[in-house]
Amino acid sequence: MAVTDRSPSDLDPSAALIAAALALPGVLSSNAHAQSAPDQGVIALRYYDYRDWQPGASRMSVRSPLLYAFVPLSDAWTVEGSVLHDTMSGASPLYHDTLSGASGLGITDYRSAADAKVTHYFGGQSIAVAGAYSTERDYESRAASIEWKTWSDDRNRTYALGFGATRDRIDSVNGIAKHRHRETYDFLAGITQVLRADAVVESTMTWSQGRGYYDDPYKLLDARPDHRRIFAWLTRYNQYVPAMDATLRIAYRYLDDSFGDRSHMLEAAWVQPLANGFTVTPSLRYLTQSAASFYRDPPFPQGFVAGEPFTADTRLSAFGAVTAGIRVAKAIGADVTVDVAFNLYRQRGDWRAGGNGSPGLAEFSARWFEVGFEKRF
Amino acid sequence: MPIALTGPSRVALVVTTCVAAVTGCATYDPPKAWEKGDLARPSMRFDADPLATKATEHIYQSKEGAAGGGGIGGGGCGCN
Repeated sequence: MAVTDRSPSDLDPSAALIAAALALPGVLSSNAHAQSAPDQGVIALRYYDYRDWQPGASRMSVRSPLLYAFVPLSDAWTVEGSVLHDTMSGASPLYHDTLSGASGLGITDYRSAADAKVTHYFGGQSIAVAGAYSTERDYESRAASIEWKTWSDDRNRTYALGFGATRDRIDSVNGIAKHRHRETYDFLAGITQVLRADAVVESTMTWSQGRGYYDDPYKLLDARPDHRRIFAWLTRYNQYVPAMDATLRIAYRYLDDSFGDRSHMLEAAWVQPLANGFTVTPSLRYLTQSAASFYRDPPFPQGFVAGEPFTADTRLSAFGAVTAGIRVAKAIGADVTVDVAFNLYRQRGDWRAGGNGSPGLAEFSARWFEVGFEKRF
Repeated sequence: MPIALTGPSRVALVVTTCVAAVTGCATYDPPKAWEKGDLARPSMRFDADPLATKATEHIYQSKEGAAGGGGIGGGGCGCN
């Protein structure tokens, strides 16, 4: 194929984009060429600095370096994987925590995680097999998944089906949960559709079915059902705006949890290229969720009945949450990008839409900085 | 040009129409291969930055009631 005989940097910008488009999986017609794997490798590093707080009290701090690599092995095979290490310190949110609230002890923990995925491309289809492992002082998780994709002849539509299984082991440091387990099975079905030369939409449904230990052993009297089903429907839409050389990215997710909480999430981002290789991306996210059926409002332990599900975990309360973020990226040459980002997150009971928020919640805020480096080869 | 709708096509069109209606962009004109230059931009890809997506999703997973929709097989954590 003549257009790939030259590197993208040899071409004018529009020709380079067309060459990149033709190289994307799912773009080139299968009548002209068998489906082949992406031929550009990526290595990326990111560093997160996270902190959250409530009025008058600093809560958790987390620092996380992450590493990701994507390596094409041949026309038909790719491998990718990531590793991370979180270091956590501080205290959980106010109300009812046996480590921070009642005992006055703080929390220090870590999380190390790794995952790997191998993808095989053949005849307009791909199959990916993946594994993941993570470990904490009191938690261990193993996961495996398989995902199949196929492309329409014109490469404007992609179907995806997936299945995953996760087995977790919980050994809380306070001895309340010893060798407890949880198994979760996930199913995925998705469609990606190119609508026009400047718009693409993706819609993905996931079903999660779990059984085992769901209590939070660090929260007093916490008792949750031993099974959980979660249905999530995420739809994303990207629109290129030629007049501004920008991209509008919109996402909406509906989530239904058998614990009783339901949520709606709407997110929008505007990706604006600037001069000298800079790109700025402001973003806004809003989530509104109802409370789990067994969440009880303060004062603790109001509503507790022995033998029945009960939680005072404010993550399962009714609230609204807003995230405002901004990312600035700089392209260095054709193959390197560095970026920095800042996000501010806030949860409030009275920000819930479509119903009342849970009363008596202290406002919860978080912020995180990100620094990233990406090299393509 | 009329479009012949098979079962999966119908599903795709419903999803497409819903999103297009919400965004006020209710047109459907799939491009030819040589018209896809803008679609190749990193900003138009859903998986352009898997590392940032994964880390950010983990933050939300640890602070909100439930998570899902973004994918499968990522494994659990003791954060929720």
